[in-house]
Amino acid sequence: MIMKEQSGVTSPYRIEVSPPKQSVSDLTGRLERFALRYRMVVEAGHCACVTDNAMGRLAFQGPELLRELSLPVRPGQVMVHVNTFHSLADLHWLLDLCVELGVRDLLSVSGDGSVRLPKLKPSEIGGRGESATSADLLAYIRRNYDPFFRIGVAFNQYEPEKEELEKLAKKLDAGASFVITQPVVGRNPVIERLRENLSVPLIIEAWMSRKIELLTDCIGYDPGFRDIFEPVDELRRIRETYPECGAYLALLDFKTQFQELPGWFDSRSGGEQ
Amino acid sequence: MKIVVCVKQVPGAAAVKIDPETRRLVREGVAAILNPFDYHALEEAVRIREAVGGEIHVLTMGPSRAEEVLRESLAFGADHAVLLCDRKFAGSDTWATSYALALAIKKIGAVDLVLCGRQAIDGDTAQVGPGIAGHLGWPQACGVASVSLENDRAILVSRMMDDGYDRCRIRLPAVLATVRELNEPRVPRLAGWIRALERPVTTWNAADLGADVAFLGLNGSPTRVISTSPAGMRSGETRLIDRTPVESATEILRELRLMGAM
Repeated sequence: MIMKEQSGVTSPYRIEVSPPKQSVSDLTGRLERFALRYRMVVEAGHCACVTDNAMGRLAFQGPELLRELSLPVRPGQVMVHVNTFHSLADLHWLLDLCVELGVRDLLSVSGDGSVRLPKLKPSEIGGRGESATSADLLAYIRRNYDPFFRIGVAFNQYEPEKEELEKLAKKLDAGASFVITQPVVGRNPVIERLRENLSVPLIIEAWMSRKIELLTDCIGYDPGFRDIFEPVDELRRIRETYPECGAYLALLDFKTQFQELPGWFDSRSGGEQ
Repeated sequence: MKIVVCVKQVPGAAAVKIDPETRRLVREGVAAILNPFDYHALEEAVRIREAVGGEIHVLTMGPSRAEEVLRESLAFGADHAVLLCDRKFAGSDTWATSYALALAIKKIGAVDLVLCGRQAIDGDTAQVGPGIAGHLGWPQACGVASVSLENDRAILVSRMMDDGYDRCRIRLPAVLATVRELNEPRVPRLAGWIRALERPVTTWNAADLGADVAFLGLNGSPTRVISTSPAGMRSGETRLIDRTPVESATEILRELRLMGAM
């Protein structure tokens, strides 16, 4: 039995499935691997999450992969990241394709740019700042596509708390439906405070790579974790600590970890679901 | 309009090494990319075709591996791809390279316009575009920051100069070397990549071009690299943080924390 989250996603696990980068080298093989992983996630009842040019590396977009590879889109089991590094025409192409395919869950993030990626101008999406933000993007999508999408936002507990909470308030005002944290290792006091006051579902990101040192590069902050890092054990701890929250799994090893994913501990029933 | 876009496969920026004996770039085993300036030439070609119709031929000279950048160009929107591949081409300088490319353009036939990126990021010479024009005896413009077709016999361009822009009318056929300011290159779609995998890539050798081998390769090159040395390394790196003031300051704080400076 799978717990139904408030956000409408059927599984507590949102599993990141990285799209292939744009390159001719072994393209067919890389597309096949993506399709295999995507199907594994969806058929197991989880939600597949496809990133948007993560780290500024040019990759294929989630919706075009779903369409070209004829992958199944089941309600609540696909989430597509969308960031501010697009032309306006490409943004609408992506969103229209999501509508056509029935992809309703988005994660609005500011994203990482590169010289090959265009960037939305604030004026194009109704922003008033010097650069387009994820809140601007979210509000723009809401204005143009409501009520189709359920749009989540990111929360970075490693940034100064006051400023990050101010940013989160803008995102919630813009209509965020759920919030996903940065990777959590152990109890985090900022997350503890956030969960007490948040009016929308909170999803905890779990770092699934054994290379915990890479987390420092990713978040720009040393979590001070020096022991051997066992991601699946850490995921269990996260779930026990935050039983009402969903989990977003980054860098999951599909060969070794996927089958080991623990069931979800439901504090209401006292047992695993 | 029949357009040829000349592209080049270059080492990724972080991977450039120089062979101490030959003083040439080491390309084997190094991540290779499409020369970044060439995206702007490709984008302009696609825009012209969208506006007036026609076909785009993408052309490169290099080892068989250079087919990768031709496939990327096909994904981008080019219609046909030609690879000039022959050991006789190896070691060609910019004069010999532009000689071979000019012969290929003649062989493609009835070409109206040749577009190149302003320069390749490995050699940084910016000589091949003008060299092609020289071999073909066609007019050319470098530093092209805008293009508009006047009619099927002439094109209007603005050339970026040190102190501003020159507006020029150029008779076709012509060769243009483009700069970043010309346009914002599109991002290819997956459907384009899938089509590109199935498209043929034509390979021509020196004999196919009817080239005089005395003008090809190291021996056919009138210039020699006498010595090469790495540029002095800067002690730090510069990174532009293009966000709001609060976000930028937060990012800087995070970087400083990461460096242990706080």
